[in-house]
Amino acid sequence: MTAAAPGRSARRVFPIEAALRGLAIVLVSAIVFFPVYWMVLSSLRSSSESLSFPPPLLPHGLDVSAYVQLFSDKPIARWLALSTLVASLTVLATLVLVIPAAYALSRLAWRGRSAFGLLLLFTQIMPAAVVVAPVLALYRSLGWTDSLWALALLHTAFVVPLCAWVLKASFDAVPRELVEAALIDGCNRWTALWLVLLPLTRPGLVAVSVIAFFASWNEYLFASTLITRNELYTASLGLATLMTQLDTPLFVLMAAGVTFSVLPVAFYMAIQRHLLRGLTAGAVKG
Amino acid sequence: MIGSRAFPYLLILPMLALEGALVLYPIARGALSSLETPAGFGLDTYRRMLADPDFWAMIGRTVLFTLAVDAIILAVGLGLALLMNWSFRGRGLVRSLLTVPWAIPEVPVAITFVLMLDPSFGVFNAFVRLLPGVEESPQWLLDPTLAMLVVIAATVWKGFPFYSLVLLSALQAVPDELYEAATMDGAGRVGQFRYITLPGIRGSLALLAVLGFIYSTQQFTLIWLITGGGPVDATTTLAPAIYMQAFRFYDFGYAGAIAVVGFLISAIATTAFVLVQRGMAES
Repeated sequence: MTAAAPGRSARRVFPIEAALRGLAIVLVSAIVFFPVYWMVLSSLRSSSESLSFPPPLLPHGLDVSAYVQLFSDKPIARWLALSTLVASLTVLATLVLVIPAAYALSRLAWRGRSAFGLLLLFTQIMPAAVVVAPVLALYRSLGWTDSLWALALLHTAFVVPLCAWVLKASFDAVPRELVEAALIDGCNRWTALWLVLLPLTRPGLVAVSVIAFFASWNEYLFASTLITRNELYTASLGLATLMTQLDTPLFVLMAAGVTFSVLPVAFYMAIQRHLLRGLTAGAVKG
Repeated sequence: MIGSRAFPYLLILPMLALEGALVLYPIARGALSSLETPAGFGLDTYRRMLADPDFWAMIGRTVLFTLAVDAIILAVGLGLALLMNWSFRGRGLVRSLLTVPWAIPEVPVAITFVLMLDPSFGVFNAFVRLLPGVEESPQWLLDPTLAMLVVIAATVWKGFPFYSLVLLSALQAVPDELYEAATMDGAGRVGQFRYITLPGIRGSLALLAVLGFIYSTQQFTLIWLITGGGPVDATTTLAPAIYMQAFRFYDFGYAGAIAVVGFLISAIATTAFVLVQRGMAES
């Protein structure tokens, strides 16, 4: 962990400094990672152990009874299924809206393009709390409360600006000549988009899908405002109610937290580098 | 066949329609409801708001929370990025570990913090009691100052990995030759940092400062689930305040007025962001 491979050629790293740096990194990582470790550890304890104080910092064997209890006593499977449904609808709607918009932003010259870009930025930084009350009023008048597809539509509205930005950066990276060549070869604009541009920007499309999916999967404020019926609860709502029910055993609550986090953590880790490139390419040049 | 002049507008139309219906229209409607008075339209709600000491206390808390979160996130994010900006075995692992808090949804983060701070069996108290002179476990969520510290800590913990990773990419983009030249010119570590590293990442830092400002001003879920805005409003910042006015007191006009303030804050942040962008494009 601490042994230094040769660092930057310009700067010699002395052994003592390497050791200190290594130590600092280990320490900081431990502090940062402790809550995660604690969440997982607490979910793998039996009920008798979870109430002792001071709590043991190391596991005594693994007890998965919390997970067994979670899946047998609480409707977590249903919550996760509904979260998956809403998040999938969000991804679908996002892709439908964002592919043509990113194409227009990246490839075409038109009046109002920079104004549109600004508008996107603007909606992106709008605090959700600012619109939550009027949105609820609007949804009530349309009869869209307690509707999962309408919730997905709202999630889409809030994630689309960022996704348009990330996808535009991906489109920008594809050489224009490729698309032009396809147009000369007799493709029309749609087929050029389908056959040339989209296959070349697959990583960007994956990143946009992941961003949209988990923005919806993680979202709590709109979901808690618009969904009131228990049978329509998504996982973030279900977990928040578990928190307020005093009879939920602690280790079951932790197990619920871990179960809900596994998917986003796995996906974010997998695409982390790519995502950062996409995000920083759009924002930070140089 | 579609005329090529109208084509780009057709491409953005669906997205524009959705943004208009679900973001812009509700903002306008909220602003309008803040102007409604029994006798038509007027600034009564705003007069009431500006005369309300609770409103100013909330603005003060929001400023404190935002500045604290933003400053700490940038400082910790930069410190960690500098630590990681060299080749060592296991760097990929550390990077991956760092991604985790960023990826965990806010609801589980809130659950973890609440349980770690529980007065009777929270692990955090086990650490605190190791400190000399601490006999009792502090009541983290019942003390206004401690509760504020807790929501700041939770918000920083969830947010800073992203800042670290962006700054690390920025640091790695600074050309090695510059460091070599600086060393030739006799610059030490401090000189290198001041004359090479800082100018090289200034753009990213400015951008992240604005993003951090927006991130902390918008924060709702963590605060709401950890403290509920309490104890006695001690952690009620802008977003929880709007939520309470609307859904606890059903005072939609007042909620709209506070929302307009939030909207103005965001607009100022957007303008700052754009100026930063322009400045970077020029340099």
